[in-house]
Amino acid sequence: MTSRGWLRGTTVRKGGASSSSNTTRNSTPQIQSTSTTVFGGGVKDPSGRTSEYFSMDDQCPVCKSDRYLNPKLRLLVSACYHKMCESCIDRLFTLGPAPCPICNKTLRKLAFTPQTFEDLDVEKEVAVRRRIAKDFNKRQEDFADNRAYNDYLEEVEDIAFNLINGIDIPQTEARIAQYKIENAAIIEDNLRKEEQYAQYLKEHEEAERLEREQRAEELRKLEEAERLEREQGRQELIDKLETSDKDVKKLIARSRAEAAKRVAARTSSSLQRNTPGFLRSRPTRSTAIPDVPHVPIQDDWYAYEDKFTLRKDYDDPVSEAVRRDREGIMRAGGYTIEEAWERALRFAVAGLDLQPLQGLQSQISPADQDAAMASA
Amino acid sequence: MDVVERANAERQRKWVKDQKVGEGAYAVVYRGRERSTGRKIAIKKIKVGQFKDGLDMSAIREVKYLRELKHQNVIDLLDVFSSKQNLNLVLEFLDTDLEQVIKDRSLVFLPADIKAWMAMTFRGLEFCHRNWILHRDLKPNNLLISADGQLKLADFGLARDFADPGYKMTCQVITRWYRPPELLFGCRYYSSAVDIWSVGCIFAELMLRTPYLPGETDMDQLKTIFRALGTPTEDDWPGHTKLPDYVPVGQFPKTPLRDLFTAASADALNLLTRCLAYDPKKRINAKDALHHPYFFAMPYPSHHSKLPKPAQKESNIPLEEVDGNVDFSGVGPGVKANPPNRLKRKFSSDEIGGETRSIARKLDFGQKGS
Repeated sequence: MTSRGWLRGTTVRKGGASSSSNTTRNSTPQIQSTSTTVFGGGVKDPSGRTSEYFSMDDQCPVCKSDRYLNPKLRLLVSACYHKMCESCIDRLFTLGPAPCPICNKTLRKLAFTPQTFEDLDVEKEVAVRRRIAKDFNKRQEDFADNRAYNDYLEEVEDIAFNLINGIDIPQTEARIAQYKIENAAIIEDNLRKEEQYAQYLKEHEEAERLEREQRAEELRKLEEAERLEREQGRQELIDKLETSDKDVKKLIARSRAEAAKRVAARTSSSLQRNTPGFLRSRPTRSTAIPDVPHVPIQDDWYAYEDKFTLRKDYDDPVSEAVRRDREGIMRAGGYTIEEAWERALRFAVAGLDLQPLQGLQSQISPADQDAAMASA
Repeated sequence: MDVVERANAERQRKWVKDQKVGEGAYAVVYRGRERSTGRKIAIKKIKVGQFKDGLDMSAIREVKYLRELKHQNVIDLLDVFSSKQNLNLVLEFLDTDLEQVIKDRSLVFLPADIKAWMAMTFRGLEFCHRNWILHRDLKPNNLLISADGQLKLADFGLARDFADPGYKMTCQVITRWYRPPELLFGCRYYSSAVDIWSVGCIFAELMLRTPYLPGETDMDQLKTIFRALGTPTEDDWPGHTKLPDYVPVGQFPKTPLRDLFTAASADALNLLTRCLAYDPKKRINAKDALHHPYFFAMPYPSHHSKLPKPAQKESNIPLEEVDGNVDFSGVGPGVKANPPNRLKRKFSSDEIGGETRSIARKLDFGQKGS
C-alpha cells in the first residue's frame, strides 16, 4: 500500500463460459469455479472477469526474477498467502504436494490463486469472508427481532475474525460445521433466493444495455443528418455563387456565420475540458537553466582532412585477400577497406606539425624521480 | 625497491581505497578518493592470479583504450597502478547508470530528456569511432551518469580498434539484446555500424522503458529482431545470405515502427529506423546521427543538469558505482557482478524467518492437505 508503484489492473477472462450455478451479487464478489483452470480463484468483478493485481515492481520472492527480466512474470498466491511466480510453482509442485519455501506449509499446485489485491492481507480477508458468506447467508427477515439478528451478525464477525487471524482454528471450524447442520434448510432456501435475485439483476442489466444501444443509434442518426445538412449548405452556396450576381464576399460570410452557429450549438452540449498535464511535476529548478540548441560535436574536432586525399585504390598487398573476398563475406558485414586506408593515412599525417618534446630526457631520469619522491 | 616499484608505490599513495561497492567476474570495484583533494574516485581491482596467461584480455583492452580516450562522454581513467598481484584502475566516480534510470518507474522522461541522452551517447561514440575504436558492449548498464547528469560510455573490456586490414574479429561480442544481426549471422569482418545498432536498441528502450529486442537465445534474438522489423530481403541487405552462420529464421512482415512507438516524433522514428537498418553500410554513422534533424528539432535537448535521476536509494546498496562491469540488479543479460549484499540469489535469512529450510521438494505423504 505504501509503495506508489506502477499499478495497472489487467483483466483476465478465465475458465470459459460461466456456469449457471455461479451466482452474482453486486455486493459480495463470488468465488470462481476452479474446475476448468489450473489456477482458479481470484475475485470476479460484476462483468464476470477476474482482475489480477499487476505491478512493474513485481518480483518473485523465491527466484528473485522480476518484471524487467521476464515481462511475462505472473505471481500467484498460495493457500498460505505467499507469492511466487508460475515457473517456481511448476518447479516445486509439479511432482505433487510440497512444502512452501517460505513457511513450510504443504501446498499443492492447484491451490494457487491469482492475486487481486496489492495487500495480501486483504486478499486473505476477502477469501475468508467469501467462504463464510456462502454458509452464513441468513437475512434479517429470518430472525424474530433485531436483537437476534445483531447477535447473529456478531457471531459471523467473530468467526471471520478468528479465521483471518488464525485464532482457535479447530474450534471455529467446528462452530461452522455445527451451524451448517443446524441451519441446512434455511441456507438452502436463501441460496435459492439469491439466485433469483441474481437472475433479476441480469435481466435488468440486459434491458439497460438495450436502452443504451438505442440511444447511441439515435445519436448516430442525428450526426448523419447534421453532416448532410452541412453538405447541403455548401452545395447551396456553390449554386448561389454560380447563379446570383450578389456580392461574393457577403454570400460566403453569411454561409460561414450559419455554419459557425451550428457548430457552436453542437459543441456547447458536449463540451469537454482537457485534462491538465499532471505529469509536469519536475523540479522547480527546471526553468533556471535554459535548454540550449543541439551542438553536434562539442570538442575541437580536427581530423587532418586537409592533410591528405584518399585515392580510389592503393597497391596494398596486406589487404589483398580481404579485397578479393569483398563481394562475399565482407560486403554484408559493413567492412570497407577504404576505412583501413583512411585510418593509415590519418595516422601517418597526424603528428606532422607537432613540436618535438623538449627536455623529456630529464623528466623521466631515475635520479629526478628519486629526488621528487624524497621531497614528497 | 627498483625504480619501477618506487614509481608504482608513489602512484598508489595518491589514492585511498574505501569500501567495496561491487564485484565482477574479473574485477572488484571499490569506492575511494584522491588523497590530496578528497575527490571521489572508483578503483577497479583486476584479479590477476586467476588467469593462466597473465592478465585478462579485457583488462588489457580497457587500459589500452581508456588511456587514449579523453572526452566528456567517455569515462575518465585517472591512473593505473599495481598492488601485490593485482592491477588497479583508478576511474572517475559516477553516480548511476542509464539502466537504473530506465528502471526507476517513478521517473518521467520528457522527449527532451531522451534527446539529451541520445546526443551524449552519440557524442561519446562518435569520439570512439573517430579514434578508430569500437566499443562493442553498449547497453544502458554501460552508460554511466555523473552527478551533474553527463552520460559517459564505460566498460571498454570488449573494445577493439577497427579498420585494420585483414584481421578477423570475433562475432561473440555485445550483449545479446543489443547485438546487431550481422554478428548474429557470424560475420567476422564488420565495422562501427555494430555500435550504432546497439545505440538504436537503447534509443528504443528509452522510449519504451523496457528492452526493445529481448531475445532468449542467439537464435531467438534473430527471430525477435525479424519479428519487430520484418525479415530482411536481399534488397534491404545485399549479401546477408552469404554470411558464415546464415540460417533462414522464417518470414515476418514489416510492421511500421509507428505502431509501437505511438508517441515518438517523426524525426525520432526516422533516426531510429536509420540506426536499426539491416545493411551495416546503410546504417547511419555516429557523426551523421549527431547532425540528424531529430536533434535540432524542438524541443531542445534537456540541459544535462536537469535530466531525471533515480532518487538515492534508502537501501544499503551504494548507487555510486563506477564501472559498467558491475551490475547491481544481479540478474539480466551480461551479468558480471553482484553488489555485496545481493550476492545470494537464494533466500536470505530474514526472508524466511530466520530458519534455514531446504527449498527442494520434500515428499511428505504423512500430512497431506492442509
